[in-house]
Amino acid sequence: MAGRVQIPSRSSALIAMIADEDTVVGFLLAGVGNVDLRRKTNYLIVDSKTTVKQIEDAFKEFTTREDIAIVLISQYVANMIRFLVDSYNKPVPAILEIPSKDHPYDPAHDSVLSRVKYLFSAESVASGRR
Amino acid sequence: MEEEEWSQKVTGNQLPEVDITQPQQLRLRQPRLHPGMEEKLVLQFMDSMHNYLSLFDALSSILREGWLDLASARHSMGGLRINSSLLDMKLHTAATTVKITQYDDIAVDSIAVQPCFTLRKWASSEHGNSQLEDNNVHLRERDGIHQSSAEENAEVTVSKNLLGPTDNDQFSKERSKSLSTFGVLISPKLRASQLSFERALDVLVEIANMRSSVLYSFHQLHEEAEDN
Repeated sequence: MAGRVQIPSRSSALIAMIADEDTVVGFLLAGVGNVDLRRKTNYLIVDSKTTVKQIEDAFKEFTTREDIAIVLISQYVANMIRFLVDSYNKPVPAILEIPSKDHPYDPAHDSVLSRVKYLFSAESVASGRR
Repeated sequence: MEEEEWSQKVTGNQLPEVDITQPQQLRLRQPRLHPGMEEKLVLQFMDSMHNYLSLFDALSSILREGWLDLASARHSMGGLRINSSLLDMKLHTAATTVKITQYDDIAVDSIAVQPCFTLRKWASSEHGNSQLEDNNVHLRERDGIHQSSAEENAEVTVSKNLLGPTDNDQFSKERSKSLSTFGVLISPKLRASQLSFERALDVLVEIANMRSSVLYSFHQLHEEAEDN
């Protein structure tokens, strides 16, 4: 494509996760777990005791870290911080809302699909969720 | 104040201020697209949307297998042997990472950037992986647009088939190292679960690429709609 320049960027970026225990354990088995010198991890396990503030803080941290390429967030967790997730619009890290065991993927809540719905309809995103 | 700072960081809004009373500043806007180019973008957008949703179906199915195998492993090994308290909190780097290559339009705002993600599995076999990943990136670059997910999956299959015995040995070693977090004698279901989540990672990286394609073509079409 004219006017497009390939810029090699990061070669070893991480995949961060904000999800339930089984999902996080599964992906850790696949080798994505990282613990740095300050014992900071690239994941947050969400359970019944996790507060919305903790989820918000983790989301903000992962989306501002330079070494993270993709943030996986269970969709039911994303719904708890929907305003934050929808207001995020940078290409990297990519935010992917994934299903969980008890909450199947719902395209109606996906932030990417909500954003592009605008192309098909003159209604606002908010009215589409009613 | 903290929220405002985060908000400024992630909206990536770096558009310069434009004074519309000064016509020369309006040259910063991208030129209008040719009619043929616009149709190509619409097709790319619709294609990417379709693939994005199809990949999520595939992901849901693979994750269900992974959760089921994990639950079976927990049932046979015991709940105390598979839980988050056993996770390794010592310093260690991720064995599976992602390589990002950015395609940057010579544009004003960051939304026109189209990153391309490539999965790098089990980093100890880094030399072999980097060659195969470069092949994948080269195949994706063909025609300058993303191919359909079926073709991409075929490419991933081809690249996996190119793995020699040494790479497979190293992959096995890394997989065993990861499984050893939960002990030496582990259920075959735990191994199966690990493979399912590895497959899920492949699909997730494809979804990330589709997301970037959807957002990129949406941005171009949105700009065109505003121009009109």
